[in-house]
Amino acid sequence: MNHSPSNKDNQNVSRRSFFQLTLGWLASTFAVTAAAAGAVRFLVPNVLYEPSLRFKAGKPDDYPDGSVTFMEAERVFLVRQGNTFRCLSAICTHLGCTVNRADHGYHCPCHGSVFNDQGNVVSGPAPRGLEWFQVTLSKDDRLVVDKNQRVAADKYLVL
Amino acid sequence: MNAPLPKRIWQWFTRTRVGRSIFRIGLPESNLERSQVMVSSFLLHVQPAKVNRHSLRASYSLGLGLISLYLFLILIVTGVLLMFYYVPSTEKAYDIMKDLQYVVSAGLVIRNMHRWAAHLMVLFVLLHMCRVFYTGAYKRPREFNWVLGVGLFLLTLGLSFTGYLLPWDQLAFWAITVGTNIAGYAPIIGPKLKYLLLGGNVVGQEALTRFYALHVIVLPAVAFFMVAIHLWRVRKDGGLSRPDEPGDIVQQVELKQLPTNKTYGLMELARGTTPQVGKNPEDEVFSWPHLVFRELLLFLLVTAVVLFLAIFWNAPLEELANPIHPPNPAKAPWYFLGLQELVSYSAFWGGVVVPGLLVAALMLLPYLDRQRQGVGRWFARERVVANTIFTVCLVTAIVLTIIGTSFRGPNWGWVVPWEQPPAITEGH
Amino acid sequence: MNDLSVRKFYGWFTALGLLVGVLVVIGYYRDEYREWKNYQHKFIQEEIRRASTPQQRALAEQTPVQIRQILLPDLNRVDRCTTCHLAVEDPSYGGYPQPLAYHPLHEQHPFERFGCTICHRGQGRATTTTDAHGNVPHWDQPMLPLQYIQASCGQCHEAADNPAAPELARGQQVFEDSGCRGCHKLGGAGGVLGPELDRVGARRSPEWLKKHFLAPASVTPSSAMPPQKFSETNLESIILFMLSQTGESAPGYYASMRVIPSASEGQRMFQQKGCIGCHSIGDQGGKVGPALDDVGLRRPPEWMMQHFRDPQTVTPGTVMPRFGFTETEARALTDFLVHLRDQKVALSLPSLMSPVERGREIFRKYGCAGCHGADAKGGVPNPNAKTAEQVPGLIYVADGYTKDELKMRILKGQREIPALDAKRPPPPLFMAAWAGIIKDSELDDLVAYLFSLKPKEENPGF
Repeated sequence: MNHSPSNKDNQNVSRRSFFQLTLGWLASTFAVTAAAAGAVRFLVPNVLYEPSLRFKAGKPDDYPDGSVTFMEAERVFLVRQGNTFRCLSAICTHLGCTVNRADHGYHCPCHGSVFNDQGNVVSGPAPRGLEWFQVTLSKDDRLVVDKNQRVAADKYLVL
Repeated sequence: MNAPLPKRIWQWFTRTRVGRSIFRIGLPESNLERSQVMVSSFLLHVQPAKVNRHSLRASYSLGLGLISLYLFLILIVTGVLLMFYYVPSTEKAYDIMKDLQYVVSAGLVIRNMHRWAAHLMVLFVLLHMCRVFYTGAYKRPREFNWVLGVGLFLLTLGLSFTGYLLPWDQLAFWAITVGTNIAGYAPIIGPKLKYLLLGGNVVGQEALTRFYALHVIVLPAVAFFMVAIHLWRVRKDGGLSRPDEPGDIVQQVELKQLPTNKTYGLMELARGTTPQVGKNPEDEVFSWPHLVFRELLLFLLVTAVVLFLAIFWNAPLEELANPIHPPNPAKAPWYFLGLQELVSYSAFWGGVVVPGLLVAALMLLPYLDRQRQGVGRWFARERVVANTIFTVCLVTAIVLTIIGTSFRGPNWGWVVPWEQPPAITEGH
Repeated sequence: MNDLSVRKFYGWFTALGLLVGVLVVIGYYRDEYREWKNYQHKFIQEEIRRASTPQQRALAEQTPVQIRQILLPDLNRVDRCTTCHLAVEDPSYGGYPQPLAYHPLHEQHPFERFGCTICHRGQGRATTTTDAHGNVPHWDQPMLPLQYIQASCGQCHEAADNPAAPELARGQQVFEDSGCRGCHKLGGAGGVLGPELDRVGARRSPEWLKKHFLAPASVTPSSAMPPQKFSETNLESIILFMLSQTGESAPGYYASMRVIPSASEGQRMFQQKGCIGCHSIGDQGGKVGPALDDVGLRRPPEWMMQHFRDPQTVTPGTVMPRFGFTETEARALTDFLVHLRDQKVALSLPSLMSPVERGREIFRKYGCAGCHGADAKGGVPNPNAKTAEQVPGLIYVADGYTKDELKMRILKGQREIPALDAKRPPPPLFMAAWAGIIKDSELDDLVAYLFSLKPKEENPGF
C-alpha cells in the first residue's frame, strides 16, 4: 500500500491514522445524520393554526333533553338523551358533504345518503356510518369533544 | 495493516453491483483511479484531476473563496428549511419569527445559522476579494473572472439586504427604509429604482413581497449561475494563480500543436514521458486526496464555526415594524453603514458618486492594470503602488463603517461608544 | 506517499469531526430540554399523585407533553400561557403555587375565546417564563402587575359601567376631577397643551406613569406639566385608568359584548335617544307619553323590557315607535327607569339642570381645573409667570370681565404669558384657544358658572 523507508514507522503512523480516520469519519457521519434528522424534525409542526380537534362544547345544561344540536364550525352534532351526551360527526362518509338532521336520522343533500339515529347507513352511496367522537367533562364542568378520539356508538358520557 | 472501518465499509459497498452502478470508480487505489474519480464524478469534476502544489497552500489563498462558497451552501440549505414556515406577509412575518424561536423544533438554531452565515459571507467575500487583489490574481488571463467576482460581491450584498427586511421588525424596517432612500439618491434613475424596489412609495407589503422574491429565487439563481461560471473560469484560466506561472501564450500554442480534436478527458496519466510544455509533473499532485481532503476539512471548520455561533448567540429580533416610530438613529445594515456615513455628508457625492466610482474602478481594475508582474505572491514589491491605493480605500471604508456603527448616535450626532448607552442596532 | 500526504491532517479531521458532532449534540439538547417541559412533567406527576382511581391514573399518565395554545384570530394573537399554566380551569388547584394555580372568574370570559394576554398582557407567543411574562427588551407589553389588572377591563367596557372593575371607575373619576382634560385630549375631547392620551396605556409602563405624575420633568425634560399632588390611593387609581387607555378597538364578537347594562348607561341612552321629547321627568319634558317619575313603582322590569322590545304588545295602539333596542340596551334603560326615584340620578340630566350647574359640568368636562385649580381656586404652579408664578384662579373673574369679554378670552386663549424675569425661561403653561373645541351653548353655561363663583357678600370693585 505505501512505500516508505521504514516499515516500523509506517505501522505506528498507520495505527494512529487508523483511529483518527475512523473516529473522524464516525463523528462526521454522525453529525451529518443528526443534522438531517434535525432538519426533518424541524419540518414537523409542533403547533397547528387550524381549529383545534379538541374543543369545548359549553355546559351540559345548555343542551335540552332529547336534543340534537348542530355545531356549524366544528361540523358535529351534539346529542343529549337524559343524562347521556354523545357527539356525531356531520361529515358524510361518501364524499365529505355536511349532512342535515332529519326528523329521525340524518340526510346528506349531496348524493342522498341516509343515516339512522345511530349513525349507521340506511341507504345511499355512503360506504360506512357516521363517526362518533369522544365526549368528556372538563375540570370546570364543560363538555369536551375530542375529534381525535373516535369511539363506538355505545360509548357516551353519562353525568 | 487493515484500512480503517469506514474505508472498509465503503470499499465493500462500491464493489457491490448497486454500489458500482452509482459510484463507477469507487475508492481510488491507483493513480489512474485517482484521476478517474475526479473526472467521472458530477460533483468532483468541477475540479481538475491534478492541481499545482502551490494551490494547496493555505497560507496563499487562505481558502477564502471556498469558505464563501460553503457559507453560500449553508445559507441555501438553512434558507430552504426556513421557507417551510416563513410567509412574506406584513401581518404574519413577525409572528412567524417568534414561532420559529419558541415552538418550532430547531427553529432558533436554524434561523441563527442563516443569519450568522449571511453576515460571515459578506465578510468573507470581501476578504476573498482583498486576497485576490493583493496576490495580483486578477491580471491576465483572469480579468473577467475578477469582474464576475465583483458582480458576485454586489449580489452578496443584495442577498443580504433583501433578506434583512424579511423578519419585519423595527431593525429590518428602518434599515431598509434608510437603504432604499440611499438608492433613491442616484441621479435620474434613483427615484425610479426606489419605486421599482419597493413596489410603491413606502416600505410595505409590496416591498416585502418583492424582497422575498428577490431573496429566495432571483438573486440566488443569478448568484448560483455566476458562481458556476466563476469556478469554470478558474479552471480555464489555469487554476489558482501562482508565482512563476508560464504565460498563456505558451498554452495557446500548445493547444494548436496537439493532433487530437479532443479537449476533455484525462490530461495526464501516471509518471511517464508524455511531454507537457509548461507544466512540471513534480509541481502537480492528485486532487484526490490532497485537494479534496483539505476541502473536506475546511467544510467541517466552517460548519463548526457557524454552528457554534448559532448555538450560543441569537440573531436579533426587535419589536414589530412600526412606521410611525422610527428609532433614533435609524441605521442601515452594517455593510452599508460606511455608505450611510458618507451620505450624511452629501447625498449625491457620498451616496452616488463615490460608491459608483468605487464599483466602476473595481470592475475596470484588471483592464487598467497593465503590469504583468506581481502575480501569485502576497504584497509583491512591484505592486506597491496598487497595493497602497487599495489598502487606503479599504481602510477608509472600514473606518467609515466603524464610525457609522459605533460613533454615531441620535440624529446622526457624535457619540463616544464607551460612555453612552449602546445604539439600538447593536448586536446585529 | 510523500511529504504532502494528507495523513498529517488526520488529527485535524478527527478534531473537527468531533467538534461538529459535539456541537450538533449540544444544539439538540438545548432544543429538546425546554423549560416548559419541566412544568408539564411536574403537573403530570401531581395529577398521578392525586389520582384516586386506576382510570384517572391512566388518564394522567397518558397526558401528552406538548405545547398548548389558544388561537384567537379575532384578537390577532396566540396565547401559549397554558403550556405551563396547566391547571387554570381546575378549581381543585386553587391555592397551588404558580404555574399550577387555578384561575377563577372565567365564566364571562372563557379562556378559549379570550385567552390570557388580552387582560394580563405579556408575550403570548413565547414559551419561556421570562419572555412570556414580557419584561424583556423589544417587547412593549410586559405583564400588568396584578394590582392594575382592572385596567384591561377598560379595553372593551366603559370605565364607569363595570361593577366588577370599581378601581377603573374610580380612576376615571379622579381623571375627570383633576382636570387633566384641560391639557390632554382623551376620546377626542380636551385641551392641546399636552399629548393625547388615547394610547398612553399601550406605550407607558406603570412605573413611568407614577414618575410622570409625581415629577413630570424627570421623565419628560421639556414638560410643562406641573407635579401632581395625588393621595396614594388616587395615584394608583389614575395610573390604572391611564393603563386602560390602549387605543385597542374591540373587534366583532367582543364589541357586541361591550356594554354592561347599568343605570348610568341607561341614562346616557335616555338622553341620546331623546325620550324627553315625549316623556317627562319632574317638570321637564314632553306631554305625549306618560310621566316617568314613578314608573318603577307601577311597572315590573319584565313589562318594561317587553315594552322596549315591542311597545304594541304591551300597550296596543300606542304611538311609541319600535326603536329596535338590543336586549342589553333595553336592560340598561329598564335599570335606569327603575332607579329614577334616586335623586342623584334624576338631577344629573343636563336638560334638568340650571345653566350654572351645567357650567360646572362643562368646567369639569374640559378639565379647566387642571390649570385653574380645583373649583377654580387657582394654586397650580406656573414658574416665572407674572401672576405670582401661578395660573390665576377664576373666583373674581366677574370683576375683571364682562360676559362677552370672558367669552372672547376663552375662545382666543392667551399664548404669551407675561414673565416675571426675562432672563428665566418663559412660563410653560398658557391658555389654549378653545374656539372650535367648546360649543357656543356650552360657552354660555360656562361663563354663567364662572360668574357665579364670586362670593356673594363681597362688594364689587377693589
